[in-house]
Amino acid sequence: MNMKRLATNFAGIQMATPVMGASGTFGFGLEYKDFLDLNQVGAIISKGLTPLPRAGNEGVRIAETPAGMLNCIGLENPGIDVFLRDILPKVRKEAPNTAFIANFSGSSVEDYGIMAEKLDVEGVDGIEVNISCPNVKEGGIVFGTDPKAAAAVTKEVKSHTSKPVIVKLSPNVTDITLMAKAVEEAGADALALINTLTGMVIDINTWKPLLGNVTGGLSGPAVKPIAVRMVYQVAKAVKIPILGLGGIATAEDAIEFLLAGASAVAVGAENFVHPDAVVRVAEGIDAYLEKRGIGHVSELVGKA
Amino acid sequence: MNATKKLVEIGNIVSNTELSADVSALVLECPQVVAEAKPGQFVMIKNEMGSTYLRRPFGVADVDKENGLLLLVYRKAGKGTQELALLEEGSPISVEGPLGKGFSFKEAGRTLLIGGGVGIAPIIYTARHLSEEITGPKPVILFGVRNHKELFWSDFVEDFAEKLIYTTDDGSYGRKGFAIDAIPDILAKYPDIRHIKVCGPTIMMKGIAELAIKQGIECEVSLEKRMACGIGVCLGCTFAGKSGKRWKVCADGPVFDGVEVFG
Repeated sequence: MNMKRLATNFAGIQMATPVMGASGTFGFGLEYKDFLDLNQVGAIISKGLTPLPRAGNEGVRIAETPAGMLNCIGLENPGIDVFLRDILPKVRKEAPNTAFIANFSGSSVEDYGIMAEKLDVEGVDGIEVNISCPNVKEGGIVFGTDPKAAAAVTKEVKSHTSKPVIVKLSPNVTDITLMAKAVEEAGADALALINTLTGMVIDINTWKPLLGNVTGGLSGPAVKPIAVRMVYQVAKAVKIPILGLGGIATAEDAIEFLLAGASAVAVGAENFVHPDAVVRVAEGIDAYLEKRGIGHVSELVGKA
Repeated sequence: MNATKKLVEIGNIVSNTELSADVSALVLECPQVVAEAKPGQFVMIKNEMGSTYLRRPFGVADVDKENGLLLLVYRKAGKGTQELALLEEGSPISVEGPLGKGFSFKEAGRTLLIGGGVGIAPIIYTARHLSEEITGPKPVILFGVRNHKELFWSDFVEDFAEKLIYTTDDGSYGRKGFAIDAIPDILAKYPDIRHIKVCGPTIMMKGIAELAIKQGIECEVSLEKRMACGIGVCLGCTFAGKSGKRWKVCADGPVFDGVEVFG
């Protein structure tokens, strides 16, 4: 890989490549160290952190769907304090050169501010604000579907951190550009889209919803065309950089997102299927640039 | 937590044969995974030509380290396994593994190995390991199956067993009833049994773990849960143990102390 061609500064976060591991699909990064070189990962985006530890949802949490999967994990995580005390130092020791972005959410605007302040520490290169988790009752998607609430969360976070702030948007809205513009005006440094699409599956043997939380978030290749469309629309509506994700499995998929207007991309569910996917996608982008004589990956951004 | 190195290897199918109407044995040549695999661990496999998206977990049924061969035994249940059954010799399968933490082994005392349904699969390698690598008496093996058409398991374990006992749901072979019903007689006949290792349906493992705890016999259970990744990331397979600690079936297990799960 020609790292010079791929090196990316996304919203002030310096990365080896523009390809990151998406929140909830990349653990804290170290889970993948047997499968890839973490130095070649653009950024590790952490599993969603919350103020207190969460056990997540009861019952079935995963269901395969055509070209994708539904999940309703429910933000199971050890909580922000355990993360800062036990996990972050380990990540920084074993992956000192990889950008680390902490994804988090809260159940009130104040929670978001408290979390942002706690995460304003050395070793965290940026923060991703989850206002769009479809699988938790409080917070989450409530903030992600109301432009005013999303703006309030963004402002609260911005005033409690010195880190670049990425706000992750929900696709479960009528017009995602309204959310994007509200969050941009509130001071976000970048946007990430899309989070999962709400879906469900019913067990025809039991006549009941299969997932423990009834509904879940759809991800995987099935959602890619929707994600590309939304990135394309949002890129025309805002000036801040976009982290594009949703169904990326190959370099070709990632290049579509870049052409649609994303400055960087993240690989999600595909990490479960091919644990070297983040690096494989970066290699494929590099090969594409080489073949076309393009000097830097940024030259692709928004060209569609 | 897991000393073995994990990797993804494209394995070629050496054979894919029916053992009964709905159970098949798949032999894959994947020497790198085989070199690392320990009894009770599992692999996540994907038929890259198939129509399903996620990998599927399969317990390591047996290994031939000399020839780099991996045995998996599966029941044709869903679309993925039905497509798998159609694959012929030479077809490639992506194998990710070995994953998780397998059974633990101590030299003191005899082990009773118990399997139910396709949960019998990992018992094969475990029996081989106990018989070939661990000093001490050979294991007693107890299999709970539906009927006499599922006695094909014998061929895989006979050489490693002090005694092989079956129970069948319909009484068409061996003792009629569940595996647990046969345990009191076995413990009476083999008082040197100190360890029980069991893999099968949850209800079966629960009953056996409770019995073992009462008898003061160490019991390990091998759990199965829906998972997307197999490496502790998706959190599809987590559960709260009796100690209150949350565990990942894929990364902390699939083998756990019966006390922590059912105690």
